[in-house]
Amino acid sequence: MLWLYLHFPHLLLDHVRRSQPIENALVIVEGTGQHVLQACPLAQDAGIQPGMRLKTALGLAPELHILQADQQQQAQLLEEQARWLYHYVAHLTPAPPDGLWAEVSSLQRLYGGLAAIWQTVEQALAEHQLTAWAALGHTPLAARLLARAGKGECSADKGHITHALAQLPLTAAEFDKTDCTRLNRLGLETLGDVFALPQKELARRLSPELLATVQKIQGTRPDPRAPWQPPHRFRQRAGFIQEVEHTQGLLFALQRILAELEEDLCWRQQDTDTLLLVLQHRHQEPTRLRLRTTGPEHRAETFMKLIRLKLDQQPLSAPVVSLVLVVRRFISREAPGGQDLLGETQDLNEAWHTLISRLQARLGEQALTQLSPRPDHRPEFAWSAGEVKRAKNPGEVNPQALPRRPLWLLPGPCPLTETPVAWFSGPERISGGWWDGQRVQRDYYIAQLPGGQLAWVFRDPQNAWFVHGWFG
Amino acid sequence: MSYAELCCFSNFTFLTGASHPQELAERASDLGYRALAITDACSVAGIPRAWAALKDSPVKLITGSCFALEDAPPGAATPEFVLLARTRKGYGQLCQLITTGRRRAEKGQYQLFVQDLETHELDDCLCLWQPPSPIISDADQALACGQWLQRLFEHRLRIAATRTLEAGEDQQLARVRWLADDLRCPVVATSSVNMHSRERQPLQDVLTALRHHRTLETAGHCLFQNGERYLRPIPVLQRLFPEPWLRETLAIAESCTFEPGSLRYEYPPDLVPENETPAAFLQRLTREGERRRYPNGTPMKVQALIRKELVLISEMRYEHYFLTIHDIVAFARSRGILCQGRGSAANSAVCYCLGITEVNPANVELLFERFISKDRDEPPDIDVDFEHQRREEVIQYIYQRYGRERAALAATVIRYRPRSAIRDVGKALGFDAALVEQLLDGIDWRDRATNWRQQILDKGLTRNPKVADQFFTLVNTLLGFPRHLSQHVGGFVISAGPLAELVPVENAAMEGRTVIQWDKDDLESLGLMKVDVLALGMLTAIRKALALVSEEKGEPFGIQDIPQEDPATYAMLQQGDSIGVFQVESRAQINMLPRLRPETYYDLVIEVAIVRPGPIQGDMVHPYLRRKHGLEPVDYPNDEVRQVLERTLGVPIFQEQVIKLAMVAAGFTAGEADQLRRAMAAWKSHGDLTPFRDKLIKGMRERGHSEDFAERLYKQICGFGGYGFPESHSASFALLVYVSAWLKRHHPAAFYCALLNSQPMGFYSPSQLVQDAKRHQVTVLPPDVNYSERDHTLEGPDNHLRLGLRLIQGLSAQGAERIHQNRPPQGYRSSSELRQLAGLDQRDMEKLAGANAMPGFTRNRHQAYWQLLEHEEPAELFAREARQNGVQEAEDDYEAEPCDYLPEPTEGQNILADYSSQGLTLQRHPLALLREQGHLKHCTRAEQLKGLKPGLPVQVAGLVTGRQRPGSASGVTFVTLEDETGNVNVVVWLETARRQRKPLLTARLLHVKGVLEREGDIVHVMAGKLTNLSHLINSLPVSSRDFH
Repeated sequence: MLWLYLHFPHLLLDHVRRSQPIENALVIVEGTGQHVLQACPLAQDAGIQPGMRLKTALGLAPELHILQADQQQQAQLLEEQARWLYHYVAHLTPAPPDGLWAEVSSLQRLYGGLAAIWQTVEQALAEHQLTAWAALGHTPLAARLLARAGKGECSADKGHITHALAQLPLTAAEFDKTDCTRLNRLGLETLGDVFALPQKELARRLSPELLATVQKIQGTRPDPRAPWQPPHRFRQRAGFIQEVEHTQGLLFALQRILAELEEDLCWRQQDTDTLLLVLQHRHQEPTRLRLRTTGPEHRAETFMKLIRLKLDQQPLSAPVVSLVLVVRRFISREAPGGQDLLGETQDLNEAWHTLISRLQARLGEQALTQLSPRPDHRPEFAWSAGEVKRAKNPGEVNPQALPRRPLWLLPGPCPLTETPVAWFSGPERISGGWWDGQRVQRDYYIAQLPGGQLAWVFRDPQNAWFVHGWFG
Repeated sequence: MSYAELCCFSNFTFLTGASHPQELAERASDLGYRALAITDACSVAGIPRAWAALKDSPVKLITGSCFALEDAPPGAATPEFVLLARTRKGYGQLCQLITTGRRRAEKGQYQLFVQDLETHELDDCLCLWQPPSPIISDADQALACGQWLQRLFEHRLRIAATRTLEAGEDQQLARVRWLADDLRCPVVATSSVNMHSRERQPLQDVLTALRHHRTLETAGHCLFQNGERYLRPIPVLQRLFPEPWLRETLAIAESCTFEPGSLRYEYPPDLVPENETPAAFLQRLTREGERRRYPNGTPMKVQALIRKELVLISEMRYEHYFLTIHDIVAFARSRGILCQGRGSAANSAVCYCLGITEVNPANVELLFERFISKDRDEPPDIDVDFEHQRREEVIQYIYQRYGRERAALAATVIRYRPRSAIRDVGKALGFDAALVEQLLDGIDWRDRATNWRQQILDKGLTRNPKVADQFFTLVNTLLGFPRHLSQHVGGFVISAGPLAELVPVENAAMEGRTVIQWDKDDLESLGLMKVDVLALGMLTAIRKALALVSEEKGEPFGIQDIPQEDPATYAMLQQGDSIGVFQVESRAQINMLPRLRPETYYDLVIEVAIVRPGPIQGDMVHPYLRRKHGLEPVDYPNDEVRQVLERTLGVPIFQEQVIKLAMVAAGFTAGEADQLRRAMAAWKSHGDLTPFRDKLIKGMRERGHSEDFAERLYKQICGFGGYGFPESHSASFALLVYVSAWLKRHHPAAFYCALLNSQPMGFYSPSQLVQDAKRHQVTVLPPDVNYSERDHTLEGPDNHLRLGLRLIQGLSAQGAERIHQNRPPQGYRSSSELRQLAGLDQRDMEKLAGANAMPGFTRNRHQAYWQLLEHEEPAELFAREARQNGVQEAEDDYEAEPCDYLPEPTEGQNILADYSSQGLTLQRHPLALLREQGHLKHCTRAEQLKGLKPGLPVQVAGLVTGRQRPGSASGVTFVTLEDETGNVNVVVWLETARRQRKPLLTARLLHVKGVLEREGDIVHVMAGKLTNLSHLINSLPVSSRDFH
């Protein structure tokens, strides 16, 4: 076996740089902002090293750009790398947060030799604008240690690799910290010095784990690495021998695909809330339809209703030669929400979901919004119209503590033109929002206007009167 | 119609109140309020400041506190209420309740339960109940709560009605009316005040957001709905409240007669024998001391001084204070704990006789009257320093002598400083935390030319000028706000009765420590006595050195046996040879010594005080030096000034002189001068000196002084701010300077040994001290399990300094002790014998091997370590058995099989291993090694620099042991490099530093090309090119002390 290890010393930084050119030195800092995690080459030229205190780093480069570490993004990026590498290599194992193994012995014949593989990978890395240190080794650990130490070479010669390994300083060996200190105290400085010790003594005087690591590096102990599987996705295609001109003609094929989807979802115990339906035409760009359910869903029947609604709304622009249904988003199934014996909430929730799904399919997703209270003392900011939520969770506003407000709040205050005939309550003084430039300073009253309407009126600091809403 | 505000938070309810107590007090006064109650949450910490502001005002200050209980009476809502002290007795009851709540909870919190209210006497307190709102609890619960309170407080209960114009107020008022009816309890108007003026609303919102750990954007309903919780004008209140409710505030104010000024401190009477008056007792003790101090008869001058002082003390009734300090000092003496008092009252003839200080009044002329002044009814102030390793014994003695009920530490109010204020306001406004840190980091706080506001703007915090304005307004207002109470470094308050009736006591962060709710200034303004019990490392070192000298001489040797004014000691100091000497060992002091050339004790008093921001910023150093060396005539504008400045050749050096000058040269009255002194003390945190500037300069011009001199004096006053260094402290310190210098000059081995045993203290690391010891011909021997004790010791007739096992980092103290105690007469013969007899665990054994502390029976440290790794089980059990049974192992057991795979340690490896296990090496200095290897070809050694001509280009290299940017030298970085022969001082100008940040900030081994500069014996290298050579010593763990 021959392993190729790719070490990405500053993956996030590369990613930031390739999406946006930045001239200054750039570092990634850990969550609390105290220490540097990754430093770009420019920052390293200024003397900034990973692990350095941010204070020192700023002393070295006052114009430094600082980014907060984002583990999720880093994990995603690594997966992205795995995905393209997967085109070349079948046996692949990620080493989070910043490395990848590829088993390359089986590829040598395919690509015509090691040099060709090496070159292919290097070229791909350059295309992706990523820095990676690569190394080959006969064991996963050997490849990794050499790569991380930046000592990789395009050679499968075992003697050569062993020699390079033996030259590595102990600190590069990723031993347990105690073991490393102990080995240091014994006067050992390189990995070669450790290889030279009798293995029995190593296990007895240091630790069995250390011996195991040494053996894994050398290849005398198995070190299996499970192959990586690209994440699941569902993709089904149906071709039509005869071009389909009406929606109806698509449904039969869709029925089958959706049934398969349901089966697939059931088997995985997963749901989805997004389907992508691509309709291909002979002379035209394909039609891409995105369908969203309101909640996680797996039933073919529901999907079918949605698709029907969508197709009713949007007739075919051209005859269809084939269709593809793709699902990329998968959601783990939660325990059923309603626990009540009669299942009433369950039904209500379902009815709610169904209604929302239908309305959205009929009117378009953007046409539907949901009102909810926002914790802000200013009336115009005390509510929001947002995306429709799956569950009716009350949020952080305690409805009981909400002040008395008119049901109809005007889009903006209108000058009060009539003199009220009666005053009911007030003043309620609201003063706030000085921090976002939308300062409000008002005394609110409930007043009856000559026409009998109950108005919510206020007076501003300039003593001008406005109507802001109507009570029922 | 007038009004009394009875419910008011100050900013001593941290992150809640948005105004200082004095601001509230002043506003209440402006508005014509009859009275103002400061009612912080379970606290009276804000009272002294409000009291100071209202002392001479018609507004009455009412002392109270606000409480919310942890639980509720059965079926009732949780009670929230304000308690007001009616009388001195009620105040004591309030303090007791606060103490109970605070002592039970973690630092900064309080916890009170229904049970506490039922068990505490509160019959002299009034209770203002704030009924729960209809949102929180229903009518029955509210009523039950009121009934419970009524049962406790009877006719002393009032229902507080608040009108803040917030939503739901109608319902709340309806409830108040209904409850008042049902309970037949009067209603009283309050404003639930959080700030003195409506303009504080933004800050109030910021504080609220911070308290809830949110930004303003997300704080939502946590914020108040408006800014009505301020001290409102009376006409406004008249519109809001029915008249009876307003009248009730006045009735309550009338019935609260307690005022903080009536708190009279009662000295603990414990110390005075029954049949004697305090004055007679103090006189007797002084006389006894006099006989001890002046066995050949007291000089006439001193006799007169003593008489005068005793009269003054007795007039002011301060006998108890002096007796208390005498008692503490006497305890320390009895335990052999070295101590010394300082402060002007300390350096009096009486204190000299009582043994509180060693400063002989015959030698220094001190103004005892200044601190005990008849005009100001303030207690005297004496700080007593104790050995730092044994101060805890003194503290425990005080607790034991007076009991925890009667003694507690004073608090220190930790306040917002620019850094913390910027950070917190930034947080509330939602600025990116990393950005704020970056800004803070780049600010040069000392750069007076561009203030930090401009610096922050330059760095691009925001492009929106409105946001910037808002930000800085908030930061500036928040500056000086109290954040929390911390413990004072050593100020004890001791009282005659239970302390908790005088002031509430709460928990400090430190286990077993309690603090009172007032800080130093508060105590001063209320006239309470504080005894400062401070820790000083040098006293530890001196005591240990004296013990070693006594041992060497075979007879007790104390400070009093040290010959005075020893020329050899002064000669040493004049050369700047002062590493390890108290106060004068810093780099700046080492440079000053050869310039000032001290020859007498009084020169040392000046030396201690002159290298400080005050004289430096006032540009008084050079004039003094010129006059001292006769390069400039000494003159005085008039006799009054001569009296003040004669001791210092016409140049003001000490804080006392500056204040006195303000009086004689600028016409300040005694009271104004005293205000100036206080403003100086507070200047660093929140004080303002500008009001004094014009008065000072105008006054001095009018009296014929030059404007330049006046300006310099003002600058010096600013420099003293926060770092004030008075002669009375300098005089005490100078004594210790002389004692430690004498020890260094005449008993170097004992001196370094004691210093090393007193670590951590002082300016230098053990490694630097050991190198200095070697340069003073002290032979230093490595730690060795067969010779060393835990502490460093002197060995043999030649006083070789044997390093102790304590130097080995990570070795357990008990292990080190046992190695010494259980050592067999012939010494340990093998590592297994050592392990067994000393009962050492694997960790300790490894540390010993790493330190190469077993040279007697191991070939080298690598082999020693190899042997140890063989078995890991602890051997303590067997150790005892083995000793008991007298088991002796066979001789040949001691030989261990060496391992052939391990390399022999190289010299470099040994040096590195020494550094990492002990922080120093006795082998060659790493630089010597590098030089031998040819890495430092053109570099000059530190000791050779002294022989070179100034102006020559030189190259030096060394380990970076210090990087310093002193406040008084703008833009310059001083780097200290250490090589095998000593230290090189490198001066890096701002421009050079900017261009070569990387080597300057990261190098541990630095190579410098530069130009030699010399002034007398002081040698500097002005840096040009800096090169980082750290790769040559890559794994050498040298730590640099960086001062920014």
